[in-house]
Amino acid sequence: MRLRELFTADVVKLDLESESKDDLLKELVSVLDLDEKSEAILFKTLKRRENLGSTGIGKGIAIPHCRSLVVNRLRLAYGRKPGGVDFKAIDGDPVRNFFLIVAPPLEVSNQYLPVLGKIAQFAKDEAVPGALLELESPEDFLALLDEKAS
Amino acid sequence: MSGEGMNSDLTVLLEIQDLQAKLRELESASGLAAFEQEEFGIDPAEASDALRDKVGDLEDRLTDEVRQRYDRVVGGVDRVVVPVIHGTCYGCFTAVPTATAGETDPNATLTTCEHCGRFLYFS
Repeated sequence: MRLRELFTADVVKLDLESESKDDLLKELVSVLDLDEKSEAILFKTLKRRENLGSTGIGKGIAIPHCRSLVVNRLRLAYGRKPGGVDFKAIDGDPVRNFFLIVAPPLEVSNQYLPVLGKIAQFAKDEAVPGALLELESPEDFLALLDEKAS
Repeated sequence: MSGEGMNSDLTVLLEIQDLQAKLRELESASGLAAFEQEEFGIDPAEASDALRDKVGDLEDRLTDEVRQRYDRVVGGVDRVVVPVIHGTCYGCFTAVPTATAGETDPNATLTTCEHCGRFLYFS
């Protein structure tokens, strides 16, 4: 399955408002539109993953990810914060683009790791970080996935 | 599912289960451990130790009654909390009684599977 098929316009937010890493994770989780308790659990699980080491892979991109019982299928979201946030990324630069991946513990289609890999590969395309900053609508994001992602 | 009235022990159990899922991945040959190491610079052994410590902290937050049941279940199964999807326990794949599954917010009460004893999360 191509990455494009896993995203819809309603899970793309181009104007994240948060100024801190924690707030940004919460805002990103809210894009998935879960109930309040599930959001709180998911935030804690993502934060505990971040405590092991930042998912900021450099070039302004982070891929927060985890498995959680609060979702019953693979869920993805993309968020952009043009001004960037200190996410303790591997290169120390502010992160502007966030790809959230959440999968249930048991996943019949087993897409979690392949999707993580595809997003990492997409992010490493030299043209992608710049193109992400130029997006004007969620549909532009989907078109970029169509063009650049496997 | 509103989730607003979720049982507090269930909340902790879900947090434990999420961490256990990460632990299993880091300790298995699924490829995730290698990915975490290569892409994010995570040391799987170090990360596993940190997660085990956190799981221990969370276990201590369970109420005594739930902790006793948890300790009994955790020795015999790979997952202590499992989802109920379409009325089926995803631990043993038997049907959960409709009286339980049909409640307005079944997660407000901590429920276990009558068949396998696992804690249930209604997703």
